[in-house]
Amino acid sequence: MTEEIADVLVIGAGAAGAALAWSLAETRMKIVCLEQGDWMDPADYPTNRLSWEMERFGAFGLSPNSRGRREDYPVNDEESPIKVSNFNAVGGSTVLYAAHFPRLHPSDFRVRSLDGVADDWPIDYATLAPYYDQNAEMMGVAGLAGDPAYPPKEPTLPPVPLGKLGDTLARGFDKLGWHWWPSDSAIATAEHAGRAPCINLGPCIMGCSQGAKGSTDVTYWPVAERAGVELRTRCRVREITVDENGMADGAIYIDAEGAEHKQRAEIVVLACNGVGTPRLLLNSASASFPDGLANRSGLVGKNLMFHPYGMVTGIFEERLEGYKGPGGCCVISQEFYETDLSRGFLRGYSFEMLRGMGTVASALFAMSTGRLEWGARHHESYAEIWDRTAGMVVICEDLPELHNTVTLDPELVDSDGIPAPKLSYRLSENSERMLAHGVARGAEVLEAAGAKETLSEAPLPPAGWHLMGTARMGTDPKASVVNGWGRAHDVKNLFVVDGSVFVTSGGVNPTNTIQAWALYVADMIKQNLANLFD
Amino acid sequence: MLTPEQDHALTLLLDELIPPSEDGRLPGAGALGLAEGLREHALTPSIAQGLERLDALAGEQGAASFAAAGNREALLRALDTESPGALGGLLFHTYTTYYQHPQVLEGLGVDPRPPHPKGYEIEAGDLSSLAAIRQRGPLYREA
Repeated sequence: MTEEIADVLVIGAGAAGAALAWSLAETRMKIVCLEQGDWMDPADYPTNRLSWEMERFGAFGLSPNSRGRREDYPVNDEESPIKVSNFNAVGGSTVLYAAHFPRLHPSDFRVRSLDGVADDWPIDYATLAPYYDQNAEMMGVAGLAGDPAYPPKEPTLPPVPLGKLGDTLARGFDKLGWHWWPSDSAIATAEHAGRAPCINLGPCIMGCSQGAKGSTDVTYWPVAERAGVELRTRCRVREITVDENGMADGAIYIDAEGAEHKQRAEIVVLACNGVGTPRLLLNSASASFPDGLANRSGLVGKNLMFHPYGMVTGIFEERLEGYKGPGGCCVISQEFYETDLSRGFLRGYSFEMLRGMGTVASALFAMSTGRLEWGARHHESYAEIWDRTAGMVVICEDLPELHNTVTLDPELVDSDGIPAPKLSYRLSENSERMLAHGVARGAEVLEAAGAKETLSEAPLPPAGWHLMGTARMGTDPKASVVNGWGRAHDVKNLFVVDGSVFVTSGGVNPTNTIQAWALYVADMIKQNLANLFD
Repeated sequence: MLTPEQDHALTLLLDELIPPSEDGRLPGAGALGLAEGLREHALTPSIAQGLERLDALAGEQGAASFAAAGNREALLRALDTESPGALGGLLFHTYTTYYQHPQVLEGLGVDPRPPHPKGYEIEAGDLSSLAAIRQRGPLYREA
């Protein structure tokens, strides 16, 4: 069945697709977005039930391979020490993210010039700065102005409260004389754009029942739909098609009933994340593009970057009330963000503080680390852990390497029979050294804050939240997939707006930058409409 | 399915894994009724097998059964020693169900309710030391 031609077809309704669709809506073009997931109902989120902690082992788990949802596609990540953690729904992975919302640093756009490795981005911090500001207004970013780790910026909402746990950890940084700052967080700490304020539920990564967290199903999408964007859910794109001139002319998708459709379009925009986008491009091979769509450079699926995570947990004597408050957001430290060769590695990392654990997670943590006894000493051993843990993650910059790839698995398919992605990834020596440094410094902070004992794990296997680099931007068509405003070098009406385009990864959560990039690309499309395909 | 005798023994066993706290604030896992969720469960066959072995161990020490024995914790430790990991699945189930039970939450000083819709109040925190951090000047590299 063939449907009416759209002016713009957006594939994916997550962080990037939502921002771009909203921005383009003012043009009054016919914009259609296809999303393989569905709308989520906040009443279904686990924090509405006493069993909330256990639901991370089921439908609200991190891995698409174990959730058992039809909306997800499997990922073969056996050849990667870091496993993909994503979500497929309106809002994409913002539904389950922690809402940490830092920006990249100016130096992140100039890694080759400053440090002699990887490549520079074709855009700089100043290019994205106005779009970071625009995104902060739309997503509702809590924070505190004046952070010396960044050029001046103004958060739109008051910072997330530190609570006793955040306060305790901040004193650790103070003792060492190290940088810390209240986290930039996409969390409405006061009423914002019709969203109720945060009430400190805790597990933001299981969906926000309050609607205070800035996931795009509650930020961009309601506004975009009111402005006329058509969002079709449970529609999974199998391939992007091209015409005889090698231009994209639409996409073939499968609806919830299994029926196949073709949506024709003048412009196609990919917003499927750093694994989904190369998967779709590779699945769109044709006579004109035998190695995959827009892949004449051979770089689609290459240079996969995660952020290798380390985790350090401290055990304290006193109770920290750590189960209250946004789980991933309170304090960030960028003491070790910029390159200092005396540390033994290039580039750097951020620390992000984590709140404590609930009653069940405390028991499982104590059990898995051999601290929980059964029998007469059970309650005593549990009391040594319960509400007495605080943690932090080390988020390391990952540098691009050609051998880290997303390819198509020769056998694994999704529920519609579409070939699934396969990852092949290994940590570089630079990442290993950076992780070791970060974990050791993290333990120092926790000890300075009063921890009687610390434990660490690095790399953290399920921390594949940030998927980047697999359709990189650049000025040279032989060395990049898209140009400096997201248009594919090989297909002039095909754009990419997700983390695939990142040239380097920085050492912070990428969602804010992905959305700022999507807003920038949308503006470039609007400004160049008259000669968009030249 | 467990026999009524096994069901009774399981309740006693759960009370050995998590006994009531000395101050009485926290109930034993058996007294809390956690055996109920194990009567028809993926773990039921292995639990039945374990109870049979415990009865045999009790018999070796002259007791009529595990339930009738006076040293049940010692019998469990003997089972744990001869079959390391045999209690793993049961412990996981017991801990995860015990620590989400309203009575236990109350005993731990936690409001026995889901986080939503009431949420929690927390302190803003002390931000006064940020002045010293600001005074360090820009920490980012100009590019």
